[in-house]
Amino acid sequence: MSDKKRVSRRQFLNYTLTGVGGFMAAGMLAPMVRFAIDPVLKTKEGGDFVSVASVDELTNEPQRFEWTIDQVDAWYESEVQKTAWVYRNENDEIVALSPICTHLGCTVDWASNEEYPNQFFCPCHAGRYTKDGTNVPGTPPTAPLPRFEFKVEEGMLYLGETKDSGGGV
Amino acid sequence: MRWTKADTTQYIPEKQYIDTVIIPLIPFDPGNDQHMVKQAFQRELNQVFTNLIEKEYKGRIFLAPDYYYLEGSQADEKERINRWIHKFKEQPFHHVFLFTFDSKWKKYEGELEGHVLWVPGMGSGDIQSTETQSFVREQAHQISDLIQAYW
Repeated sequence: MSDKKRVSRRQFLNYTLTGVGGFMAAGMLAPMVRFAIDPVLKTKEGGDFVSVASVDELTNEPQRFEWTIDQVDAWYESEVQKTAWVYRNENDEIVALSPICTHLGCTVDWASNEEYPNQFFCPCHAGRYTKDGTNVPGTPPTAPLPRFEFKVEEGMLYLGETKDSGGGV
Repeated sequence: MRWTKADTTQYIPEKQYIDTVIIPLIPFDPGNDQHMVKQAFQRELNQVFTNLIEKEYKGRIFLAPDYYYLEGSQADEKERINRWIHKFKEQPFHHVFLFTFDSKWKKYEGELEGHVLWVPGMGSGDIQSTETQSFVREQAHQISDLIQAYW
């Protein structure tokens, strides 16, 4: 009786070889499947984040960082250059502002006007923003500079989409 | 601002703020094998330049459609250019700049009703190379300063 329950040498070899072979096949197929369905697995929250700078580079003074993204519209795919002004505020939080003037879309510069050394200045129509991106009343812009969504991973700063800071002055 | 549907729509209600127009002047001669490559390169470079300036000063500079003319036909073309400029001034644009790598326009500057921005450009090169990119950036920066001096 006990003989029947015993696994024969042939059976044992069969089981082991199938098992090991199955593992190997799975090991080869898994990355392929993962690769094939990759677009489905991609997280969608807030679009793609792009690594822009090392966190160590950031100072209290806004610095200009540039990177490129691939932009696809209905007719063609193009490489678009993006820019951000990034600094640490007094609470040591990272602030990443879009340089696009909310008035008519010129590119604003930090401290480029000698009279306003602590403000963002738009060369087109003398629009001004304070360091936190709030538009200065009495100048053409009616909304603050948009902020980039960001995350920090392994010492690198990643920037995503901009979102309106809301509440124009 | 560019000559596109989105930008012109934005331009019309805000025209009081957009008082400067840049017209790229681009020569070509399709019958000449010798100059063809160089002219095509100058055209690409001209577009990179003017697009860069437009991007930076979108809210004040309008980039006109490219003005093409046959190489060396300045004497005939000055009338047609002035007609373009008159039309732009009707808007009203106060500052009209003609951006070109073609030095022959310098001689006719007095007869034109816009400012000729002549840049020596590059004889040849690779539009994608970092050398070209830094050249364009540097030059575009200086041209922007020059334009701002008129504002």
